[in-house]
Amino acid sequence: MIEQEPLVLIIDDEESILDSCSQILLKSKYRVETASDGSSGLQKIRENRPDAVIIDLKMPGISGFDVLENLRSIDPQIMPIVITGFATVDSAVEAMKKGAYDFLPKPFSPDELRIILSRALEHRRLAREAEALRREKKLLEENFITMVSHQLRSPLVVIQQYFEVLLAGMAGAVDEKPREMIRKAGERLQGLLNLINDWLDLARIDKGRLGDKLRAVDLGATLRKLIEFMEPQAKEFHVSLEWDGPSGSAPEVMGDEESLEQVFTNLLSNAIKFNKPQGRVRVSLKEEPEFMTVEIRDTGIGIAREHLPFIFDQFYQISRREGKKMRGSGLGLSIAKKIVEAHNGRIDAASEPGVGTAFSVRLPKAESKRTPD
Amino acid sequence: MAMTPLKILVIDDDPDFQEAVTAILKSASHKVVSALSPAEGKEKVLSEKPDLVLLDIMMDSLFDGYSLCHAIKTSPEFAAVKDTPVIFISAVKELAGSRYQFQSEEQGLTGPDDYIDKPVKPEDLLARIEKLRKK
Repeated sequence: MIEQEPLVLIIDDEESILDSCSQILLKSKYRVETASDGSSGLQKIRENRPDAVIIDLKMPGISGFDVLENLRSIDPQIMPIVITGFATVDSAVEAMKKGAYDFLPKPFSPDELRIILSRALEHRRLAREAEALRREKKLLEENFITMVSHQLRSPLVVIQQYFEVLLAGMAGAVDEKPREMIRKAGERLQGLLNLINDWLDLARIDKGRLGDKLRAVDLGATLRKLIEFMEPQAKEFHVSLEWDGPSGSAPEVMGDEESLEQVFTNLLSNAIKFNKPQGRVRVSLKEEPEFMTVEIRDTGIGIAREHLPFIFDQFYQISRREGKKMRGSGLGLSIAKKIVEAHNGRIDAASEPGVGTAFSVRLPKAESKRTPD
Repeated sequence: MAMTPLKILVIDDDPDFQEAVTAILKSASHKVVSALSPAEGKEKVLSEKPDLVLLDIMMDSLFDGYSLCHAIKTSPEFAAVKDTPVIFISAVKELAGSRYQFQSEEQGLTGPDDYIDKPVKPEDLLARIEKLRKK
């Protein structure tokens, strides 16, 4: 694509200004368009996408200020320069507040016009470069994460596959002792896979990828689905899951359903695993004026007070009773917290050792704009 | 009643995975044909006419697996084998509660008869194959 000279649009109801400015700018090899009122000026902006616009503030009909405001919503990267006839500070300041890059008080010399314009265009060039770099960086990061993800997981998945085949005896009979060792190796491998998955989750959330994934989510439907999904695990641990929330639809929150499911699955899983036999897990969903609050309460072993402030820290793990191997990565809660906070929500934990723990997650309702404090 | 062994085509670019899955399938007396690329897979579906296809969707580009499945099921070129059951194998992390959505549906492609995550549990894979046994 051939680099063209910058296009400058001049909007002024005075013919003489249009002529003289055009001549000055054409001499400096700019491309020039003119308009003699605000509305045709805006039309030309939409059609021609100039690099800079010189706007007379005092015009009949749509004023220069109106043009400024509209310009910002069309393309904030077009540099506006206003011509002020009153030569008062007020109108210049107001123009700057409305997005003008600079102002030219009448009467002005050709040099003054050229200097301001060249500065404005340089500013525009730098802003566009910064934006392009930011987009490229984001793309590289995303690709990197995907690449690392695939590179790390693939070999581990193959190793696990071999373990599965060996343990099933499908590559020949396996004696008790080697079988047990293979099984343990597989457990460590699973732990490693969990760690990698969790790290990648953290990396993805860090890059603030939520933005385009936000949808209206009915937490009631989400939680009921998860409870059903976790029934087998609850059965395995002899724990009962209770739902204390609406059976129909609940007010929605804006969120990324996938990552929210991840949060609640993690909390539910913990509530089940760290519970007492014949214990209970109660999942409730309550509506408040601005938020929806989810509470996951268990009758488990609880968390000692000295640990409580740190449970959301990365890798913080509390050693449990002997015999229970920690297969988690220690990142689950820190990921949950990051996800909740990326939703402008809040997660808290309260606990009493020997009695149980309650995690609560507050998320702003879809119709409210406030964040919880 | 003894189940007749099936001829199963495994399309996956990882020879180690091929070895592992072959051991699983052979333990149930199935016959295994391997293809290490989508192109080879396409060729072998037509030449071997397998009773079932296991298709890894992470080869080369994600799209190859989906488009091959779609072709088998809908393209005139594959008319002779269009009823062959296809199972997708995927190394994508299984997300708790939400299964990996078939992008194929979004792109208007015909999807597989079943899907399974890597690493596969041997008994699980064999059970799914049995379910799809052609009448």
